[in-house]
Amino acid sequence: MTAQTFFIGFFGVAAVWFGIVVFRTFSMVRSALALLFSQTALGAMFLSMQVEFLGVLQIMMMATEMTIMAIFMVMFMMDPGGLGKMDMTHQKRLSLAVGIVSFVAAVAVAVFIDWGPLASTAPDAAQQTVDLGLELLGRSMLIFETAGITILTSMIAAIAVAIQPLKRNDKS
Amino acid sequence: MTTVFILISLVFGAYLVAVIEDWALTGRFRLTAPVFSALALLGRESVLPRKLDRVFFEVAPVLLLLSAVLAVAVVPLSPDLIITDLATGALFINAALVYVLVALLMAGWGPDGAYAMIGGWRFLGQLIAYAMLIVMPLTAVVMRAESMLTTEIVVSQAGLWNIVYQPVGFVLFFIAAMALAFLPPFDLPTSKGDLAGGVEAEYSGVRLAVFRLGRLVLIITLAAATVIFYLGGWQGPWLPPWAWSAIKILVVTAVMLLGGRMLPRIREAHLLSWCWIFGIPLALLNIFLVGVLVLVFP
Repeated sequence: MTAQTFFIGFFGVAAVWFGIVVFRTFSMVRSALALLFSQTALGAMFLSMQVEFLGVLQIMMMATEMTIMAIFMVMFMMDPGGLGKMDMTHQKRLSLAVGIVSFVAAVAVAVFIDWGPLASTAPDAAQQTVDLGLELLGRSMLIFETAGITILTSMIAAIAVAIQPLKRNDKS
Repeated sequence: MTTVFILISLVFGAYLVAVIEDWALTGRFRLTAPVFSALALLGRESVLPRKLDRVFFEVAPVLLLLSAVLAVAVVPLSPDLIITDLATGALFINAALVYVLVALLMAGWGPDGAYAMIGGWRFLGQLIAYAMLIVMPLTAVVMRAESMLTTEIVVSQAGLWNIVYQPVGFVLFFIAAMALAFLPPFDLPTSKGDLAGGVEAEYSGVRLAVFRLGRLVLIITLAAATVIFYLGGWQGPWLPPWAWSAIKILVVTAVMLLGGRMLPRIREAHLLSWCWIFGIPLALLNIFLVGVLVLVFP
């Protein structure tokens, strides 16, 4: 077993473990930051696979996104500190079923799809950045622009929900 | 060997930052002041709040120090004096420094104290203000160098430093860097006047010492980043490259520490609206201008 395989496995296990921690805690901020460290471990997996740009990007973006998610969770949850032992889970059977089905589907996609010939060596990190830039401005542009607009819309919607409506006599 | 040398210079740099900051605060130039205050902090009891989130409380100071030190890994003090010359260097500095936010948020939430918590969430708002003004000017810097290698970025300024080539970007980056290091007038998360120290309020003893060391290292890291992105890095006549890096970093640090003291602390809402209403359009304009310059005078 090479060091590379070891680290990919190590960070993979770390990502899954922090993913589990998300649901084992009652504190919303702990939950959000556990998700952050799960995503950071994914970024570290990218780095172990010599995908430098994506790894660094993942580690950078997730820190901002998950901390912002933390404040949204604190805003919307009735017991953000988890001091009252609020139960975060609901619709347990349905979510279990959905979880199992999606897990099987993801594994099936990973195993059965034809990934094409494996590259024997990864291009160097600077070349990867160039390739990624061309890809993003080429055939993947529509997908990324759509995703960007969707995220922006949901952010605006979330903020709109969070703002307290102005009462008529408050206007003065 | 390079790593050891850079880490030693980082510690020495942090010491000098502490001396300059003490000078800016008290008006007296005392070389021994940081040593005494460090000894005093280490000698004091490190009190634990009553109902704390232990993991966050313990991790936060270490994470602050760690993220600042990690960012230094891609900072070149001379062509050979760099820990690792990553192909994504300019992005990596950002990635490491985003964890300053995570650290402050942890330090705010961890001790279960009102002042600390307000300080922590304030810094999240501060990030919304400054984050784009770090990334967008950097985009323009990378566009000129056509590389994210920090050494390439320094070499690209051989003819003309970026402070002259893209002054708008420099001003925005400098302000944003000060906001990232929560230096006055952007010291909202740790403000003494209205939050009794904010995220620092519940820390004492050795934990506070680590937190303060992390902040000093963060200041020196951001000064170093400003130097390599805008002030030509190690370049300069007569003196050896490392000496130029050291001089420039110290000058930027001094300007950051002394300049901010002259201004009143900014209000969170003002910071946000000014950054988004003026900062981001200016940053976009800067990217556009640099794009034109790169295409017209390659």
